[in-house]
Amino acid sequence: MIRDFFYEAWFLSLRTLRRFFRVPANWIGIILFPLIQLFVFSQLFKDIIQLPGFRSSGSGSYLAYLAPGQIAFTAFFAVAWSGSAILVEYRNGYMDKLRATPIYRTSILVGELAPLFIESAIMAGGILALSVVLGATIKTGLIGAALILVLSGLFGMAWAGTSFVPALLTKSEQATGTLSLLFFPIAFMSTAFVPPALMPRWLQTVNSWNPITFLIEAIRPLMVSGYDWAAIGKALVAIAVLGLVLQSATLWAFRRLTA
Amino acid sequence: MPSSVIEVENLVKVYSGGTRAVDGISFHVGAGELLGFLGPNGAGKTTTIRILATLLAATSGAARVAGFDVTTQASDVRRRLGLAMQTPTLDTFATGRENIELIGRMHRVPRAELKRRTDELLELMGLTAVARKLAGTYSGGMRRRLDLACALVHRPQVLILDEPTEGLDPQSRIALWDELERISQDGTTMLLTTHYMEEADRLCNRVAIIDNGRIVVDGSPADLKAGIGADTVTLQLDANGPEDLARQQEDVRGLLRGFGSLESVTPEPFGVRLAIRDAGRAIPELMRRLDGNGRVVHVIGLAVGQPSLDDVFVKYTGRRIRAEAADHPIILGW
Repeated sequence: MIRDFFYEAWFLSLRTLRRFFRVPANWIGIILFPLIQLFVFSQLFKDIIQLPGFRSSGSGSYLAYLAPGQIAFTAFFAVAWSGSAILVEYRNGYMDKLRATPIYRTSILVGELAPLFIESAIMAGGILALSVVLGATIKTGLIGAALILVLSGLFGMAWAGTSFVPALLTKSEQATGTLSLLFFPIAFMSTAFVPPALMPRWLQTVNSWNPITFLIEAIRPLMVSGYDWAAIGKALVAIAVLGLVLQSATLWAFRRLTA
Repeated sequence: MPSSVIEVENLVKVYSGGTRAVDGISFHVGAGELLGFLGPNGAGKTTTIRILATLLAATSGAARVAGFDVTTQASDVRRRLGLAMQTPTLDTFATGRENIELIGRMHRVPRAELKRRTDELLELMGLTAVARKLAGTYSGGMRRRLDLACALVHRPQVLILDEPTEGLDPQSRIALWDELERISQDGTTMLLTTHYMEEADRLCNRVAIIDNGRIVVDGSPADLKAGIGADTVTLQLDANGPEDLARQQEDVRGLLRGFGSLESVTPEPFGVRLAIRDAGRAIPELMRRLDGNGRVVHVIGLAVGQPSLDDVFVKYTGRRIRAEAADHPIILGW
């Protein structure tokens, strides 16, 4: 039974990855925005690093401070519209074609969600590599880099629910990206651009509940200082909670759609 | 061994909006038989097919495919079923080969067998040369054939096809008919829907005419046509514009009032179509009638034909099927 499920999810996942990587627009669109931010902001606000609040982050340059946030944002963008593919296939009948074969219904959903781990990790890896090219460092080396990719991939897989739930509930392509608007509050109320010490009190409070902050704060030490297992642990817990809530909702919406 | 591969008893489907799409349909399809559902759009053909394919739950009634109940034994049904829907459903970012292989894997076709079977199907459908190209680049005819190949990869006992030649050019249509005939001769039980008369006539052992969610009549095309009992006489009229044509059509109707062997008069763009019993004998009298009484009817052509499935359809539904608007696939909830 479990073997059947893995067999089905495996081949459906391979198909999903193929579909994603065969269209360059998919990954160029995801990489572009974080890349521009990384490139422009690191120049524009170069001297901001001399402000006292930055010292404790351990970053030697604003680029180094900025890079972890852009890596996290890439994982965000990698899944911001991820619910659209399943919706397209629901509409054009491909999902029916799969449903008329003797497979578990849930395999179809898992075949869409599991590959998002790979997609987010690879996209985030692209920005990580580019930030190293631009001058950032990874103190923890290859193992640290792998950890960054795993964290980004897990975050992407969890966050995908924000696209899948509205997509599956409304059956409307427009709705698949509606919650991507959350990017602006989430991005600017995180530690991606400035450390908490430089934030007003209320923003510090919001920031301490911001899921993407946990990811950024786990990635940053891996790049600039060393392993901070407490930060990594906190990020994993935040991702697990987020994933549990969002993906339970996705499963519920998927079952409702295919009932 | 049960002789009926598809058994449907008193099937009803009422959609949540209150539409009674299927209103008490019963039919059987024997092993190796090819049954055609003939009907206009919205008649309930697709809904019936979706129920048989385990994609939609019936409101009431029972359906069994290959001996298994479509609701309680859905996966047993799915294992034995090949399905091709109204519009080809393909993974457009996968190649032709990848499309067939994925569906084969979902049906658990063993690896070595899958490779062999995929090659065989690509060859059979004339897609070997494009097997490595993305399905999104295929023409309409190629998509149809690839879709059919996907439906056949696990050698299904039952093949269900919804409007298999919809949207194809005449040449591709005839090629696909040949293919479907071959599959049927291999012993596969088939159910297809169509609103093309020639398709039903050419392919099906048996035709069920379905209208407003009910089967109004079923039988072999030959029996159905024999049941009409009247020949078709078409009169071509020479008219000056549509108003004149309408007047002449009315005049024909008037002149033939009370004509003994006449069963119906149907206006057509070219003139009128008459259903007349024993037309050969009636023609001289028919011409005399049309000649007279000061009314001017310009008959410039006359043809006598055997009844067609078209006529069968008109007799049982009161309408011509081709007058219906072209099909648009509707989005159905599950």
